[in-house]
Amino acid sequence: MTFSLLHATDFADRLLYKIVPPLKAGMIVLADRYAYTAFARDVARGVDRQWVRDLYSFAVKPDLAVYFRVPIDVSLDRLLARRVKLKFYEAGMDMGWSANATDSFRIFQSKVLEEYDRIVDEHGLDVIDARGSITEQQRRLRDIAGALLETAQP
Amino acid sequence: MNAPDPLERGARGGVTPGHFFGHGLPYVSIADYPGKIIAIEGTDGVGRTTQIRLLREWLEVRGYGVVETGWTRSPLMAPTIELAKTSNTLNKLTFVLLYACDFADRLEKEIIPALKAGFIVIADRYIYTAIARAGVRGVDSQWIRRLYGFAIAPHLVFYLKIDPDALARRVLQDSGMSYWESGMDMKSGDDIYDSFRTSQRALLKEYAAMSDEFGFRVLEGRKSINAIQEDLRRQVGELLEGEAGADVVKT
Repeated sequence: MTFSLLHATDFADRLLYKIVPPLKAGMIVLADRYAYTAFARDVARGVDRQWVRDLYSFAVKPDLAVYFRVPIDVSLDRLLARRVKLKFYEAGMDMGWSANATDSFRIFQSKVLEEYDRIVDEHGLDVIDARGSITEQQRRLRDIAGALLETAQP
Repeated sequence: MNAPDPLERGARGGVTPGHFFGHGLPYVSIADYPGKIIAIEGTDGVGRTTQIRLLREWLEVRGYGVVETGWTRSPLMAPTIELAKTSNTLNKLTFVLLYACDFADRLEKEIIPALKAGFIVIADRYIYTAIARAGVRGVDSQWIRRLYGFAIAPHLVFYLKIDPDALARRVLQDSGMSYWESGMDMKSGDDIYDSFRTSQRALLKEYAAMSDEFGFRVLEGRKSINAIQEDLRRQVGELLEGEAGADVVKT
């Protein structure tokens, strides 16, 4: 619960200082993770699904939300290839499900991914298959973002 | 179909004491915990600390296990909140969320374990303080109540009531008016006395609005320390001697 509330506090701070002012100035804000991350991660930690949605009701609804979906094995391979150790909270080690970081990551992140699938339907997120090459993914992202911007006034 | 009550799962009156107000913490089941929560509410300077000290002594002499928990006193958040108050970047939302975080930490680490073990938890301020302060700062009242849906409804809530004039004199005599207590962050003016009065009056209004709904037991803050304490002990005694108090640990 404190984990969830600390992130919400951080988000509220960034919302008011870093997100709302540029929006008012008519700029584009790119958010690397948004409230949806909290919906997935906090619920995977056992926080009530509706409560966390109510909590973030002060957030601005994004004009476009894109979800890069990837199976657990692929994300594990990528993470382990880059660095030796999985981060404690990223692997959900605080939940005490497994003393082994890789096992814990697998258990925790499958719950997270399950929640994301629910969120995709609920909030109409655009899904990009993140198994593909960077170029493919970027092309798809540009298509989606481009379509949105064409309908908007510059 | 009727629209569901927006507060159905938030902090509201009529919830059985010892149960979560709303959604709660799905990973803890608290329904049969034997402990009791006694919340003491009231604005700063009204005499809460004195009353709590005397009540605690009385309960301990009678053999009850007592745990005290106080607003912004969680080991996790207390330093952060103090730091944040000095940074001048707090806004009403982050202010409210830091409080909630402090409360959540104390709920999980202090209050729930104590209830489970059959202790009496005396809460020096409870969620009503958060709701009142948020209300004064213009935070959406339904949002804040849903936020505190994870709190547990206390068995007794005492509200030490006082009028702003008497309070102002008492605080001045005591420690003086502080920046935050006086609501100087709300920028209603440079004069700390006026700001104190304005913000305390607004706070008292918020408390009054909650009083009936949450069943506050009102204690007259202008009465003598002993008279207030007597009233407090009588009502706490009734709770503990009744059926509800049967499980509470006594040594």
